[in-house]
Amino acid sequence: MVARLRGIQQDVIHFYRQCIRAAMKKPVETRPHFIDYIHSEFGKHKNLQRKDFTTIEYLLRVGNKKLKMYSQPELKDIH
Amino acid sequence: MLRTFFRSSTPLTLRRISASPVAARSASTFIGRQSFTPMRFYSAGAAKLDKDEVTRRVIDVIKAFGKSNAAATITPTTLFNKDLGLDSLDTVELLVAVEEEFDIEIPDKIADELKSVAETVDYITSNADAN
Repeated sequence: MVARLRGIQQDVIHFYRQCIRAAMKKPVETRPHFIDYIHSEFGKHKNLQRKDFTTIEYLLRVGNKKLKMYSQPELKDIH
Repeated sequence: MLRTFFRSSTPLTLRRISASPVAARSASTFIGRQSFTPMRFYSAGAAKLDKDEVTRRVIDVIKAFGKSNAAATITPTTLFNKDLGLDSLDTVELLVAVEEEFDIEIPDKIADELKSVAETVDYITSNADAN
């Protein structure tokens, strides 16, 4: 962590920030559900090799699609 | 100071212009509008945030965040990852919470560089939109 994050690592960090910001736009009551969901989705791949670029890129693409879907304002809660 | 200025100057202006009725009317509407909207610049509206105040609020946010190890001993020199035991994603989450508190959005480039309480406080005090 002390070394500055580069390239794809930074992309993941920025994507995570987008997710959290999107969750913050949701109603206060259901916000924890979204935050927990983000944690679990990221947590699933916690043990991914840092050089496994193909997988990380794939997950970023899938994640961006999901973010687009979940950040729609009509969607107010998830389980 | 401004008010005393108006008090002393208004009658004088009216007296001088009242010779011509048209001029008197326009002068009175002009003065009326002036006294209704005290001069206020957009930038002057929000007073700059006090550094100690910002530090206190940032520390409150960190304490409310809950995940940090040594919540009791947060000082401006505290580092997010080393002293608080936050990983990179936790730090992101904490900074978003700070953004919410001060009603700002920290750009990605700057947020990547913020690693300590002091750096965060410096950025917030230098940001005119923070409140």
